[in-house]
Parts: sequence; structure tokens; C-alpha cells
Amino acid sequence: MTRFDRLQAEIGADWRSFVRRRTAVFFTFFFPVILIVIFGALVRTDPTGEGLFAEPAAYYVPGYLAVVVLFTPFSRLGSEVARHREDNRFEKLATTPLSRVEWLFAQTVVNAVIIGLASLLILVLVVVLTGAEITYSPWLVPYILIGVGCFCGIGAMLGSYTDSRDGAVAASNAIGLPLLFLSETFIALEQLPGWFGPLVNLSPLTYFARGVRAATNPGAESGVSGIAGVDPLVSNLAVLAVLAVVTFALGARSIPRTD
Amino acid sequence: MARDGTVARAETDDGDQAVITVEGVEKRYGNTVALAGVSLSVEHGEVYGLIGPNGAGKTTLVRAVTGTTTPDAGVVRILETAPTAVDRNRVAVLPQNFAPPARLTAAELLEYYAGLYDDPRDSRGVLADVGLTDAADTWYEHLSGGQQRRVCVGAALVNDPEVLVVDEPTTGIDPAGRRTVWGLLEALAAGGTTILLTTHDMAEAERLADRVGLLAGGELVASGPPARLVAEHGGSNRLVVSLDGDDTEPTAVDTLETAGYAVSTGRGSVTVADVAPTDIGDVVAHLESVAVDYAGLEWTQPGLEDVYLALASDVERDHRRLATQQSRSLEELADGGRPEDRGDGGGGGGDEVVTGSNSTDRHDGGDRPQ
Repeated sequence: MTRFDRLQAEIGADWRSFVRRRTAVFFTFFFPVILIVIFGALVRTDPTGEGLFAEPAAYYVPGYLAVVVLFTPFSRLGSEVARHREDNRFEKLATTPLSRVEWLFAQTVVNAVIIGLASLLILVLVVVLTGAEITYSPWLVPYILIGVGCFCGIGAMLGSYTDSRDGAVAASNAIGLPLLFLSETFIALEQLPGWFGPLVNLSPLTYFARGVRAATNPGAESGVSGIAGVDPLVSNLAVLAVLAVVTFALGARSIPRTD
Repeated sequence: MARDGTVARAETDDGDQAVITVEGVEKRYGNTVALAGVSLSVEHGEVYGLIGPNGAGKTTLVRAVTGTTTPDAGVVRILETAPTAVDRNRVAVLPQNFAPPARLTAAELLEYYAGLYDDPRDSRGVLADVGLTDAADTWYEHLSGGQQRRVCVGAALVNDPEVLVVDEPTTGIDPAGRRTVWGLLEALAAGGTTILLTTHDMAEAERLADRVGLLAGGELVASGPPARLVAEHGGSNRLVVSLDGDDTEPTAVDTLETAGYAVSTGRGSVTVADVAPTDIGDVVAHLESVAVDYAGLEWTQPGLEDVYLALASDVERDHRRLATQQSRSLEELADGGRPEDRGDGGGGGGDEVVTGSNSTDRHDGGDRPQ
């Protein structure tokens, strides 16, 4: 058996475990759908008005995608790590050839497939329900994959450093919600106090949102800034990739192999 | 160290290459002592059984051997290397309270764990070995408790390990399933697999283990072949005579003591110690000679359980005494080093509370693995 075989075994087990939890599958897809229905179709965007949702509908595509790219890894990895710890599965896996990096990579692949499917659904719904005019750019694929890797790393840390499954879910909500709304996803930087700018730049989701916006809405007037004059598509992906490597490594390292 | 002061490992060293070596291993969880200088070795193809009360340190020792806990002091070697550096294809572990993914079938679970190793066995064959062919397509969460544990045992066999570490492998399994697992472990041992197992089942330890180590209070208090431990610590054969009427007890005791037997009394019974099977008729004859009627006779040989009860309770008592002394010393220090003040100051009433608290802290484990 090779590393590929080990990964195949782990991915297969993870995938089957996920799809057989029907409520988990349902709500993974229902959550972004209900968000689009509420914000996109009921509240509706108002390009000429004031306050929230004053940007064109396409501006919010990164936000809707971020719902699954951010929350699914946070909640799934957080609770999965906690479940593995509580059931002594890590104690078992620690004595097999499967490494922590391989385990996390397998979880990330499963999340990437789930989130990829959910993202397709979101794009269709956003276009149909909000009338957003978006560009179907191939850059979306690396942004989603790298974003999933980044947030799976953070999700693993949440699961490792909280002491229970409940704690992991609570922590993922407490960290995820502020990130979701304060990373140039739903709220433009101009609408936030000036002192908040540096904090926004600390969020990995900011680079995801800017890059995805640049890919799907090339004519956007705000929320698409690049770094050091480099093309926003490239520079934001580069920063996101660096952050993904760091969080993935830290996440893998945080996974408990000993008591 | 064993109770007589010798290192347990020394008594088994016969020149063979030890597959598992534990030397002076100590482990604490906060103020709780889980392992207090444990030493032992397990030879190639040997089955070593660890017994002991809850919180004695069995699981911590298993984790030290498998590299899933790091000892505070001491050395652990497995297959001549550190546990964290050993080739994981050569070792398998069944952790205590292990639960694999619940919505995979028994067959999928074994296939999954087999897929993690370089050269695994056919998972269907392992499924048959643990007697679950008929339940192959049943989700783990829908299996009975015993079937679930057998899947877990199977997961520890898929890589055909040279060293197998199993923490309470038959907990929750019915008698038939237990015998299936025993048979599996015996076959593995016969094939040269080295097995370290923990158990609360004395029959399991006696049947499977070539040697047994008794852990209590984090110390290895005895180690050796079950028969030798029983001979040394198990006490003597006993004949329990259930009397037919309470008023005959004094007569029975007098008669048997006069005949040279050591006798103790219980509720409506007398227990005659050190009675060989061939002496039972003699005891009965003495009772009948003084017209003592009896309702039943029960002859028992000492077993590992008697060793366990004798030695483990001794250690617990020693540790309670030590804890009491330590708590008194601490109280004396807290009172400014004037122990005489305590006696006059009403401190005696608090002794029991303090003693109980310290004893619990040391042995019950708190948040440490059980």
C-alpha cells in the first residue's frame, strides 16, 4: 500500500461517513440556500439605497460562497476532530502508518468535494434569485480549493484546542460569524470604521473574498484591491495560499496523537 | 519495582530478545500518579496480561508502550526502538473505549483500517476470523455491543502485527464471543505474535497470559506466570461447609480444630483452610461423628482473583496510610509545624475528610485515563 492507497482508504471512509449522515448533508446545503433566499431574494439588494446590501448583487457572490467555504470546514473539522478524540480514534490512528497531515488532507479533500458541489448550487441560486451578473472564471476553482484547505486547518485547530464537540461547534460559530461579515464579504470596507481596516487585512477570508470578486465580477468598483500593485486575482490567491499552508500545517500539528 | 524490591523485568530475563521493554516508567497527571516507576519486559511470542483495579495505571502503561503518551521518566522500547519511531506496520493497538466511524459497515471498517497498512490481510478473512461474516453489511452503530467490540478487535488484526497491544479486548462481549476472541489471540500467540493485554477478567488473564503483571496504585506489585502468582499469593484451598442450623457451629468448629484444621466461621457456615480434595471425606467424617448436619459443601482452589484481591487491597491500604501521613504532615506545616496543637485544637475531627480526599486524589484518577 502506498500513501495514495492510505489516502484513498481514509477519503473513502470519510466520504461514506458524511453522506450517511443525512441531516448533516441536508443542512450543509440548506444553510447557504436559506441565506441566499433571505438576503438575496427577500431583503434584496438596493444599489441606489443606503446601508447594508447597497452594492450590486454580484458584489455578494464571495459572501455567499464564503458561507460554505468558511463554515463547512470550521464545523465539520472541529466536530470531527473532537469526535475522533472522544472515541479514541486518534489513539488508534497514531499507531497506523497514516500521518496527521494525511488525515487532514483526506478530510480536506472530502470537504472540497462537498463545498465544490455547494458552491455550484450557490452560483446557480444567486444568478436565478438575485439576478446577479457574474463571470464564470476558472480562478474560482483554485480559490475554493485553497480556501477550503486554509479553513480546514483552522477547523482542525478549533477541534483540537476545544475540549468537546459542543465546544468546537460553539467556537467555530463564534469565530466564523465575525470573519464572515467583516472580511469584505457582505460589508464593504468603506462602511466600516477606518481603524478596522488593518483587522480586515488579518482575515484569510478577506483575500478569498477580494479574489473571488475579482474573478466573478471583474468590473467591481470596490472590494477587489490587489497587493503591491499586483493583479488582484494573483496577489490575493498568493496570500491565501501562504495562509493556507500555514494554517494547514498548524492544524495538522494540533491534531492530538498523544494524551 | 516489585514489592520485594526486585525489578520485575529481572525475573523474566532469560537471554531472549525482549520485544517490549519498560524501565522505570513514571507518569503523572497533575498531582495524580499514574505510573510510579514501572519496569517489565515482554519476550517474543509471549502473552503478557496486565491486571489491576480501575485507575491502577494499566491504560497509561499501554499508552506509554504504544507511544500515545509520553512518560515523565523512564524508557520504553518496542521492537528495539522508541514507540514513536517503530514501524507502524509491525504493531497494532486496540485502545480502550475505542469507537470507529458509526455509519460504516463491519466490512467497510475492516477494509478501511486494512487500507492504512502497507501489507494488510484480506479484510474479509479477518471478518470471518472474528465471526462477523453474517453482519458484514451492517452499520457499526446497528451491531450489538459484543459485535462492535469484535469489529474493533478485527481492526487490530488487519495488519497481521508482530506486536499486538489490546486494552480490555473482551469488555462487553458475550461468553461465546469472548471465546472467539480468546481463540484468535491464542492462535496469534501460537504464531509468534507478542501480545500485551489488559483485562479485568481474571479467567481471561489466566487462560491467555504466559505471565501476568498486577498493577496497583501505579506500581507493578507482582509479575510472573499465573500459576506461580497463585501459589505465592493466592492462599490455600478452602472447603466451605454450609451448616444445617446455626446451633451446630460451635460444635463443628471445636471438632475440626481438634482434628488439626484451621477453621473460620461465616454466616451459617464454616470455612476449612488448606484442604486437599482427598481430605474432604475426612472433614465430613469428623462432622458426622458429632452429628453436625450440613446443607452443602463447596471446595475452591485459589485463583488469580485471590491474588488480585490480596495484593491490590494491600497496596490500596498502604497508599491510604501514606496519604494520611502526608496529609497530616501538610496540616502540621500549615499549622506552623506544631503537631501538638492539632490534638488540642479539634483538628482530629478533620482527619477522615482529609485522608479520604487525598486517597481519592491519588488513586481514582481524576481526569487521567482509566
